[in-house]
Parts: sequence; structure tokens; C-alpha cells
Amino acid sequence: MNPNYKLPAAQDSYSFGFLDEFAKREIRRVILKAISIPGYQTPYASREMPMGRGFGTGGLQLTLAMIGPDDTLKVIDQGSDDSVNAVNLRKFAELTCPGVSTTESTADASLIQTRHRVPETALREDQVLNLQVPYPDPLVIVEPSEARRKVMHGEGDYARLLTKLYEDLVQFDEITISHRYPTRVNGHYVIDPSPIPRYDVPRLHQAKALMLFGAGREKKIYAVPPYTDAEPLVFDDIPFRTENFHTADGKRRPCARCGATDSFLDELNLETGGKAWQCSDTDYCNRQLAAANDREVTP
Amino acid sequence: MKPILEVQGLTRIHGTECPSCLDMTGPEHNTNVCPACGSIVAAANVSFSLQPGEILGIMGESGSGKSTVVKTLYFDQAPTRGKACFRDDTRTHDLFELNSAEQRWLRNHRFGMVYQNPNLGLNFSISAGGNIAERLLMNDLNHYGDIRRRASELLTRTDVMVGRMDESPRQFSGGMQQRVQIAKALATRPPLLFLDEVTTGLDLSVQARILDLILEIQHELDTAMIVVTHDLGVIRLLASRTLVMKHGRVIESGLTDQILEDPQHAYTQQLVASTL
Ligand SMILES: Nc1ncnc2c1ncn2[C@@H]1O[C@H](COP(=O)(O)OP(=O)(O)O)[C@@H](O)[C@H]1O
Ligand SMILES: [Mg+2]
Ligand SMILES: [Zn+2]
Ligand SMILES: [Zn+2]
Repeated sequence: MNPNYKLPAAQDSYSFGFLDEFAKREIRRVILKAISIPGYQTPYASREMPMGRGFGTGGLQLTLAMIGPDDTLKVIDQGSDDSVNAVNLRKFAELTCPGVSTTESTADASLIQTRHRVPETALREDQVLNLQVPYPDPLVIVEPSEARRKVMHGEGDYARLLTKLYEDLVQFDEITISHRYPTRVNGHYVIDPSPIPRYDVPRLHQAKALMLFGAGREKKIYAVPPYTDAEPLVFDDIPFRTENFHTADGKRRPCARCGATDSFLDELNLETGGKAWQCSDTDYCNRQLAAANDREVTP
Repeated sequence: MKPILEVQGLTRIHGTECPSCLDMTGPEHNTNVCPACGSIVAAANVSFSLQPGEILGIMGESGSGKSTVVKTLYFDQAPTRGKACFRDDTRTHDLFELNSAEQRWLRNHRFGMVYQNPNLGLNFSISAGGNIAERLLMNDLNHYGDIRRRASELLTRTDVMVGRMDESPRQFSGGMQQRVQIAKALATRPPLLFLDEVTTGLDLSVQARILDLILEIQHELDTAMIVVTHDLGVIRLLASRTLVMKHGRVIESGLTDQILEDPQHAYTQQLVASTL
């Protein structure tokens, strides 16, 4: 987005939240349908947004259709509030939703739009997480025809997806999917939970917050409603494993910045040539750091 | 004993059917193409029954409609009309009245198919074991260790070296590919198996071993089978009863021995004579 962009002077011609009221109403109806049929990829008329599809327009349309002047919005990209993408989307919301507050704090947000992560801080019932989705259908890797995929979803026919996992185990002794791990919602539909790491998948299960998934390019919205089962596709005898961030001698690596040992870590290449590991969730990292400093100051 | 399968008036016409299609095709017209509308009458009014554990042969020249019969029963294609009832332990399924989910369930759980072309029956982009795993997974077996064990048992049973179960069947010989297909078809111990020209194009010695395997399986598991072939030798070895088809019609049916000893239809007489 052009950082110097301003809305035209006659702002009356723009609705609150950029989308016109008909568009918002349609998206809200689709959200209700998606919540009613957990995990079902509900088609909707994805609108043209003043940014390229693939830059989170699906998540943004969810956000704009739901947001009201009382909301507090947080936007993250890979856990970070200040990546270019997150900043642009946040600015866009600020420009088009007068009165809305924005925040970097997970706890203070009523609405969180995210790409590639679920926040470390546990979400509450009064919060909604909107995930940006590039590829909504987990079956594309085994079935090219959308018509046939729809039938497979309808019949809960995921044997070919499991066969892929079988082949992975045969070849590599472990399931190698690192992101977009196929996850069964409410015992039926299997979703692509967007490119979150495996680490975040258990956070969808019986979550307190509503989780919505928006795919702008593919024109699909789906949901994991609060208190709903979301189980990664696995074999009975091979438990689902998340990234463990262990060192060679089996110890949990701490965040180099805040020292946390319970967060998802990004691997950074240092200018000195070495590597360091740091929380990918910057809000969480800042909070841990602040808490640690407090402890030092007040012994 | 009640038949496991009863087929009545099975008909499959390709094209826009006209009222003359059935009257102007068949052996007496020496064609399966309707002269009035150009439709192809692939199969018409095919009726038969199959007992549990029985092997029924369907014999006839290329294009006579043999594959059409088994492909409609396996739901690879829908018939134009006709009825087929499959009797499971307690229930009778009116096959062509079922919805697609019910058809898929029967196909995955109760039927097995071995195609002449292994390309149709196997996925070459995954391993031989993966092909069997897929069918087991369709049957809700969800334990990786059990799937591995069952797949290697099946491959051992069909004489495929277990050491090769993690290779793609693409690099296997034709005979081996057929064995993998048979293992896959047997994975769910189906009571009904369709075999469409499974030995066609294979070396004679390879053919003989596969035919032996089929007979052994029938004895061990008491599987009912429909064996489609244009090879009288296969019919003679496997089938207790046989249908002879020509231009989409069944022209003769009965005990295989009787048909081979004393063929009634001129076409069958010719067929039998030519292989003596
Ligand atoms: N999809 C199709 N479209 C048109 N004709 C077909 C189609 N499939 C089969 N046929 C025709 O139906 C007839 C019977 O075919 P098939 O059952 O495959 O014979 P067989 O297995 O005895 O060789 C043949 O004349 C064949 O060309
Ligand atoms: Mg054929
Ligand atoms: Zn940290
Ligand atoms: Zn006709």
C-alpha cells in the first residue's frame, strides 16, 4: 500500500469499513453459515480490495464485515505486529473504520487478524481470530477436480489424504508436513488451517474464541467455532507431534531475547554467522521481557 | 443358498437412444451400433445370478460388452437401465437405486476389482504398500502398524516380495502389477470380486501362476467372482458357469463344461472349435 495514500476528500461516499453494506451483509451471512457447519468451505463473493489478492484480502474482508467502532483491532503477520504487511492492513483499517482502536496487545484486542500464527496468549470467549488463508482446500494435493473434492468432503472421504501421510511415514519415518496440517473439525470436515505451524494446531481445539478463515482469492470462508473439536489427521498409533525446539542434548531452547521456554521460536541468522532463536510472537516476547525486568527491579 | 448377486435386464447404451436401438442391434444384426441413431448398445438385457463363492465366467470377443457388465456393477459407469441386487449377510442392496455415498461404501468395503490395465487399478505415484493402505484406510483401519502388517501379509499372499512394498508399482513387471492389484482388491476380504482380463497380455507361465493364485483365493476365502475374458483357457480353468456374449447380448449361458462340450449357439461352436 502506498504510505501516502489518503481517502478522497468526500469520505461520505465510502462506507464505514470500506465495503458497502450489501457486501458486509453477505459476508456476515456467510460467516453465520460457516459457523453453523464447522469446517465447511462456504463460498462467498470475494470483493475486489485495493490491494492484490494474496495479501490477506480474505482475512481483511472478514475483519471489515465484522468490525464496529467499539472494536479494538490487532493485526499480525507471522506473529509480528510491525511487519510491512501487518502495518499496511492495520493502517487500512484505521483509515476506513473511523473510531476503531488498534493495539499490539493480544489481551486488549477484540478482533485479531493474523497470517501464519495463532497468538501465544490464550484467547478468550469475547475475542475473534481471523486467519488469512491462501489455499483453503486440503484435498487439492490428492484430487485436482473441485467437483470431486466437494463430494469427498461431503462424504467425509479422507482416505487418500491419510494415504499421503502413510507415504510420508514410509519414506521419512515421520510426517513431514510443517504448515497447513490437515485438521478435522467437529468430527467431519477436514480443513487447511492456513499456514500456521504444527505448534499452533492444538490451539484450534476446543478454543474459547471463534476462529474464522478467509480465502480471498479462492472465495471461501470457514470456521472453527468456540468449544469445537479440531483434531489433526493422524494414525491411531502415531501421535501428532509439534515442533519441540530442543537442542542436540534434548533441552528446550529458550527465547534468546526474553528467555521464554513455552513459545514458538523463529530461527534467526546472526550477522556474526551464528544462529539465534527468538519468540515469533512479538507481543508475547515483549510481555515476557517486561515481566522479567519487573522482577529484576523489584526483588 | 440365496444368490449373492442377481442381475436383471442390465443395459448400457452410449448415445442418444432411439426406439429402434434394441431391435436393430445384436448378434442377428451382426452389430452393436444402431443403424437408426448411431448409438452403441454396449450391453442389453443381461441377466444372471451368482452364488456365494462361485466363479462365473463372461466370455466373448473384444467389444462384446463384457467389461461394460462388470464396470456397471462396480459403479465405474451407470447403466442405462436394469437392476442388480447384492445380498450381504443380512441385507439386500438394490445397487442402482443407492446414492453415491452408499455405492462408494459397497465398492470400498464389499467389492474388489482387478483391471486388465494396472493403470486403472493402481496409483503409480505412491508405493505398492500405499495402494493397499489406501483401501484399508477407506475401511477405517487407522493404525499405521496394523496397516503395514496387513499390507505385507497381503503382498506375501500374492507372491509380491515384501522387500519391494515401498517401491512404486510403476517399476514392477506386468505380472507383479496384477498381483499388487489382486492384493489391493483382497484387502477388505470382499465377498465379491470382479476380474477383467487380468491375465491378458502376460507370459503364459506368469498367466498360469496368477490363475492358480485366483483359484487358491477362492478356496481360502470363498470369494464369489466374475471373471471376464476372451480366453477360453481361462474360462475352462476358473469358471463353473459361463455367459457367452456377442454384440452386447448374452447368447448362451450354462455350466462351463456343458458349453465347452456341447455349444448350442453357432458362434460358441465356432469359438470352441477354433481353440481345439
Ligand atoms: N464410453 C464409451 N463410449 C462409446 N462406446 C463405448 C464406450 N465404452 C465402451 N463402448 C463400446 O461398447 C462396446 C462394449 O465395450 P466393452 O464392454 O468394453 O467390450 P469388451 O469388454 O467385451 O471388449 C464396444 O463396442 C465399445 O466400443
Ligand atoms: Mg473389456
Ligand atoms: Zn521471547
Ligand atoms: Zn437407436
